[in-house]
Amino acid sequence: MHSKKATPCSEPRALASGCAVLIMLLVGSAKAQTLAVLPPSVELTGPEARQQLLVEGAAGEHQEDWTRGAEWVSSDPKIATVDAHGVVQPAGDGEARITARAKGQSATVTVRVRDSHAPFQWSFRNHVIPVMTKMGCNQGACHGALAGKNGFKLTLRGYDPQADYDTLTRQSVGRRVALAEPEASLILMKPSFAIPHGGGKRFAKDSLEYRIIREWIAAGAPPPTDKDAAITGLEAFPASAVLAPEAEQQIVVRARYSDGHTEDVTRWVKFSSTNEGVATVDDNGHVKMTGAGEAAITLYYSSRVLYSRLTVPFPNSVSTAAYEQFPRRNFIDGLAVAKWKSLHLAPSKVAGDAEFLRRAYLDAAGILPTSEEVESFLADQSADKRAKVVDRLLQRDEFVDYWAYKWSDLLLVSTRRLNSTAMWAFYDWIRDSVKQNKPWDQFAKEIFNGSGSTRQNGALNYFVLHKDPIDLTENATLAFTGQRIMCARCHNHPLEKWTQLQYYEMANLFARVGVKNGTMGDNIVFARATGDVLYPKLSRPLPPTPLDGKSMAIDSTADRRALFTEWLTSPTNTLFSRTVVNRVWANFMGRGLVDPVDDVRSANPSSNEELFSALTKDFVDHGYDVQRLIRLIMNSSVYQLSSEANGTNQADNMFYSKHIIRRLPAEVILDAMSQVTGSPTVFSGYPAGTRALQLPDTQVKSEFLASFGRPQRITCDAAERASDSTVAQALAVINGDTLNKKLSAPDGTIALFLKLGLSDRRILEFMYLSAFSRYPSEVERAALTGAMEKAKPEKGTEEARRDAHRQALEDMVWALLTSKEFLFDH
Amino acid sequence: MFRLDADRPVEFCDGLKRRDFLHAGSLATLGLTLTDWFGLRALGATTNSDVNCILLMLIGGPSQLDTFDMKPNAPAEIRGPYKPIKTNVPGIEISENFPLTAKHADKFSIIRSAYHTAAAVHDTGHQMMQTGRLFQGGVEHPHMGCVLSKLKGPKGDVPAHVLLPRPIGNTGGNMPHGQNAGYLGKAYDPFVLNADPSDPNFRVPDMLPPDYLSALRVDRRRNWREMVDKSVSEFETSADARLLDSTFQQAYTLMSSQKARAAFELHREPEATREKYGMNRFGQSCLLARRLIEAGVRFVTVNMFETVFDEITWDIHGSKPFSPISCYRDLVGPMFDMAYSSLLSELAERGLLSNTMVMATGEFGRTPKINPAGGRDHWPQCWSLLMGGGPLKGGIVVGSSDEIAGAPKDRPVSPMQIAATVYRGLGMDLQTELPGGQGRPIPLVDRGTEPIRELF
Repeated sequence: MHSKKATPCSEPRALASGCAVLIMLLVGSAKAQTLAVLPPSVELTGPEARQQLLVEGAAGEHQEDWTRGAEWVSSDPKIATVDAHGVVQPAGDGEARITARAKGQSATVTVRVRDSHAPFQWSFRNHVIPVMTKMGCNQGACHGALAGKNGFKLTLRGYDPQADYDTLTRQSVGRRVALAEPEASLILMKPSFAIPHGGGKRFAKDSLEYRIIREWIAAGAPPPTDKDAAITGLEAFPASAVLAPEAEQQIVVRARYSDGHTEDVTRWVKFSSTNEGVATVDDNGHVKMTGAGEAAITLYYSSRVLYSRLTVPFPNSVSTAAYEQFPRRNFIDGLAVAKWKSLHLAPSKVAGDAEFLRRAYLDAAGILPTSEEVESFLADQSADKRAKVVDRLLQRDEFVDYWAYKWSDLLLVSTRRLNSTAMWAFYDWIRDSVKQNKPWDQFAKEIFNGSGSTRQNGALNYFVLHKDPIDLTENATLAFTGQRIMCARCHNHPLEKWTQLQYYEMANLFARVGVKNGTMGDNIVFARATGDVLYPKLSRPLPPTPLDGKSMAIDSTADRRALFTEWLTSPTNTLFSRTVVNRVWANFMGRGLVDPVDDVRSANPSSNEELFSALTKDFVDHGYDVQRLIRLIMNSSVYQLSSEANGTNQADNMFYSKHIIRRLPAEVILDAMSQVTGSPTVFSGYPAGTRALQLPDTQVKSEFLASFGRPQRITCDAAERASDSTVAQALAVINGDTLNKKLSAPDGTIALFLKLGLSDRRILEFMYLSAFSRYPSEVERAALTGAMEKAKPEKGTEEARRDAHRQALEDMVWALLTSKEFLFDH
Repeated sequence: MFRLDADRPVEFCDGLKRRDFLHAGSLATLGLTLTDWFGLRALGATTNSDVNCILLMLIGGPSQLDTFDMKPNAPAEIRGPYKPIKTNVPGIEISENFPLTAKHADKFSIIRSAYHTAAAVHDTGHQMMQTGRLFQGGVEHPHMGCVLSKLKGPKGDVPAHVLLPRPIGNTGGNMPHGQNAGYLGKAYDPFVLNADPSDPNFRVPDMLPPDYLSALRVDRRRNWREMVDKSVSEFETSADARLLDSTFQQAYTLMSSQKARAAFELHREPEATREKYGMNRFGQSCLLARRLIEAGVRFVTVNMFETVFDEITWDIHGSKPFSPISCYRDLVGPMFDMAYSSLLSELAERGLLSNTMVMATGEFGRTPKINPAGGRDHWPQCWSLLMGGGPLKGGIVVGSSDEIAGAPKDRPVSPMQIAATVYRGLGMDLQTELPGGQGRPIPLVDRGTEPIRELF
């Protein structure tokens, strides 16, 4: 390397052009780079087949799309022709080689052509519907709306080809599709704007779209049939790439069909970017990189989804030593380092003991360490003191309270719809499960396989909360597999692969859950022998089948839930394990490996897939042991990083190169305020001293908790817990009684210290230890005692002076308890 | 002519389409240059984008037959105990329970053909009348005032959207009531008063320091908080931390703003004015609503009642714990009549009515036939509501119901059309998309939903 200064550059544009220079140098040397054509092999089936080729140059660690500047040559134009843009089309059956030349390099791909002169007709299912989908005809805003548009209603994104076919050919007395005169068909006249169309002009008369529809009509408008080739999957090219800043990249998408043929469907794919700050994509799949980081370009075609992962490293130069010297305590660290390396992020320094201790207590148990705990930890010289703290935390009752609260959020425990006894039975079962460290699969099995009294088996209250199969289907998949399949209740999921058929196959698994009144005011959950959920389209039940799982016979009398449970907790069902691993990871790291934390769908990529897979595998291999997972995370160096940015990672908010800062949850804030002030919160109906995190029920009234975003436990959605700061929260701590009364409590900490006659210096030190888990710095000590000194009244009675002193202390503690350092997990 | 829009219209953020832009060239023939035209737009000459709204939620669901859709010729068990009276608009008659309102019929219009098709419980109606939509699949839609707050932000020192006096409590359905920002996030929730403005000791909780905290101490705390915060640098790169700081700043602005504080000080009103509105929770809330609009609040929602249980409300099932039909004459009717008529007349006198919409609606209507308990039950199939002010016309009747006020006879109006009317009245583009979560953009109202044209 030449002597480029290793300091990070704060001017991305300057650096970007620096990179470009570097690339040109590497390209110039010709050794470091190779050329490849994508897709690596091509089959063209039928006279209308075509394939866009890409030619990718590799330059150092970047890849570049050279398709636009390349020259394309076919070895045999009688077999396959290629145009200047790299589009191959068939001419005759056989094999040909297509060569791309760019920047003095060349690369070749073999093209096999079949059926180039066979009779061909456009398929309604595989061509006409995709055209209408891409042109937007059947989108929610147009004819795909539930009510259609101007009397013309298509199914959303063409999920039901048969219904659309009927609509097009049978309604409106043959005007939409005019067999005798295809060009007079409304589905050509309107979108080509030959006659007025509320939706404007969607395609031109000389477009491929127009031709497909016209030729399909001219061929007699053949209907969709069961024999149509069915799509079996998508391939994206490139599937992933590391690109230079401001690079452009074309994405090509190929569909595979059940009869073995493939088609280039790029033109009909719906593209979107998961991170517009990193990459933008247009309708044609042309990507522009806009910033550093990672983005997925999601591809949606015919109820299939896939993504292409594109990365632009941050404009830093990081020494290899930064990675080599990073302490690897377990496999998490190595996998995080690999990611940082690819992105040119250097990890922040390791957090200090005080920072670590506070974070560990808050994240694992929702409490602050006491001042004594802080002091003894800071004084402890042993090398493994952090690991020991983690072990001790996992043994504490507060740890059980915290995780019981978390899983109660997940399972919606409250007296909103459960009576008090049932709520307690449900909560006690959860708390007991946490206390025993019940394996996560066992936890789920006890819910879904259980039968009997909801009082004896509290888990069964799940079926009291979720009574009908639709609710059960949607809740169980969201809570335990992070899938949001509610869209598929009415139509195929528009952003995911789940179809309406799969939804109702799944729902039928819950059709025979019986709940009847018990004799003790409880409920009895049992498996009924009959009952089905009808698939609305056909008004008949479908064989009960878990998502992507094996069906059971529809006439079987076995408990259908058993099949669901078996599927759910099977080690091969990574949706189940990934979902809980992601929730636990997010609890400690401030952001899920997949975000939002409960949106583990396939089109929502992880910020570190290798790490996510390894964590999930470890979790499953070790018997779904949640405590083991927590230990792994807390003992990793990644968890123990400082939240302070270094010169390379200010912009990183998803790769964990620094600890992510976030506001504490409502309950934790309230409990921490109680703890520091020595003045517990009173919750009506609960014994004195009950902490907010010990409440089993979110119906317990607390305006403070509501204002700070306590979830109501109505919907199973992680977003129900709000973490935004609001003006109402600020007003509540500035003027509200909750904090103010704690500060002035006659039996609180401040009052006690004054009675004991402690010095301001000692009191403030104690407050720093107990609120921030650290000693104040000398600068802080000086500033605070100086401020206290100035607040002393110049004259007045002894009593007035005492009052003034006390008020000044209250005000100082108020300032600590409303500061960012207190309100945030950092 | 050269047309950039040959393919499809390009939308600009200000709601203008490229097509509009190019065609605006033809304004020159009217003697206006483009600069003039944009200048006029900025002054609000062509579209008034600074309209406010006061929404009076008549919790319980007023009976259309006993309020604004009288059927004097129907049989006794339909027409009920009340008689129609004339208003100051020839041809419009309303119930005798509203003699004061009758003098202001030119300031509002009556929609007599509202309906909804969801379950006949209070909660669903609350959702739809305030958000335009029924909550399904776990999606909580934002209240119209929260949408306004998101799209326009606060004006001056006061919050954009204030809810008086308290949020709707239990009305039986145990569902959300559509009074917060839903998927927009808590940052756009309304500022909730949480107090009774008719209370002699009325003050806004948490808006001002408690008695035991002197201004000096509040100030000292603020300074000391800044001092404590200053020594830690790691929060600088966190957007969440910056948001926290800005909320404290806004809170202090609200507290220290003379104007904001004064807006909530009802005692500044002459006693006669306060009495005119009615010395009760609803009356004083309406008066407070007027003061808040004057101070710059964009949207005020007033809940006339908090619950329908054990309180005299519009919910006249005729038996306990609900209300009897006679309460429309004895209590609820006069309470509404005083407050609503005073609000309209004061807004008009102060020149505020032209840029302040006022809507008064329940969550549904009531059964045409009087029930055995002498009351009426829930009836979402048809009801009446009142809209006026801002760009909306007054003194007209939109739609009508059948001879028993049991179904719209013509011009049925859905909750979403009403939301569309409010949004249009507020000067918004109905196609504006809100971030609905999971990458699903949600337009203000479903495409194709028309505002009530007759009112514009």
